[in-house]
Amino acid sequence: MESGSRDGTTEDLESLIATTDAELLRRAWRNEKAAPEILRYEKHLVDRIEGQIQLMEETVDDYTETGVDPLTVSLYQMDLDRTQFLLRSYLRTRLLKIERFILHILKTDELHERLSDKEKIFARRCAGVIGKHLDDSVLLNLPENYQSALRQSTTSEEDDMVLEPRLDTFVVCKAREYISPSEFQDDSNSSLSMDLILEMEPGELSFIPYRRVQRLLESGKLEMV
Amino acid sequence: MYGRKACQLVKETATGEKGQIKPFNDDMFNQVIQECCSHHLELQSLFRNMQEEGLDIQTTRNADFYGALIHHLSLTRNKRCLMAYMYNRAEVIRSLRWKLGRVLPEEISKKLSSSEKEYLKGYSASLDAYMNDINLDLTVDMVPPKDPYIQVRVLDDIGEVVLTDCSANLARYSMHFLKRTDAEPYISQGLMEELVS
Repeated sequence: MESGSRDGTTEDLESLIATTDAELLRRAWRNEKAAPEILRYEKHLVDRIEGQIQLMEETVDDYTETGVDPLTVSLYQMDLDRTQFLLRSYLRTRLLKIERFILHILKTDELHERLSDKEKIFARRCAGVIGKHLDDSVLLNLPENYQSALRQSTTSEEDDMVLEPRLDTFVVCKAREYISPSEFQDDSNSSLSMDLILEMEPGELSFIPYRRVQRLLESGKLEMV
Repeated sequence: MYGRKACQLVKETATGEKGQIKPFNDDMFNQVIQECCSHHLELQSLFRNMQEEGLDIQTTRNADFYGALIHHLSLTRNKRCLMAYMYNRAEVIRSLRWKLGRVLPEEISKKLSSSEKEYLKGYSASLDAYMNDINLDLTVDMVPPKDPYIQVRVLDDIGEVVLTDCSANLARYSMHFLKRTDAEPYISQGLMEELVS
């Protein structure tokens, strides 16, 4: 009986920790780092984190001024530094993907909508700069029918020059709840392990093509490791 | 052989050390562009031949057509190689911007073509604008912090500077105990080194 109730409290504590903004940011950051494509911008989370960083900075300043125990101050400072690192790294990882797949993102509405407003501005500016650079150095020197950055030539029927993320790449992910076989995405045009019946228990690690867990990641049923 | 030069150009980026940039291969680059243009001339003259013989380009499948096709494919291949060359170099240039700051040292800067220098400037400007927008400097804090303060040795005379929590006289070879975020820009410019015990 006693041990049962103790287990209950640790579980409560764990679930409490798992839903703090710091943990949510860490999860968002890990997902963003591991996923090959750009994920939805966690607007509300980032807003909250920014508020907390400001609050923490003020607390640290206050404590330094009023001469609170230096150890306490440095612990707060450390916490602050970690949060700031996570936030910066999260935003950096996104920029890196935006830069790399810029043309693909700008011409795919669904991906473009995943950016924050400020990232959209950044993406447009970047696209302008790289576009001019490629035009000046390569494209304008080529014969007339071959000057598009999106198509190999005017005879191409679709955009066949745009760099896209490889969604078939394998990722390591962990289920956060039970996932039944029917929930995995089946992509009929890819031959990757299609007949394999899959299910995941909570906490189970899997090594799987990103494409098949894309939607599960979005709904938060699993996370990247 | 068609396409060989373009392939060498791409190999150059593939065999280079990661994150390092090689001098822009002006000579080879222009030769490939030339090759593209001559492919195009050949292609057009073959099509003219066919037209003079009164053949329909859409449906005729004779020697001239396949010749033209080869030229077309070589041209698109060259184009892909040229674009890959520029795109990969642009990626390295961006990573240099993150590592070294807005202004690259002379020995790296001279490896870039003039268009690439323009690109670096433009890219830097859009990155600065974005960081200004979000009011956060993203170029510091590149490694996960272990300790908020680190021990550093100054390698060059930096002089009196104001840091976030104090001002310090950063004389050459002096040692300091600084906030990591304050020290990082100096470390990346090679003006300081971190002392690891």
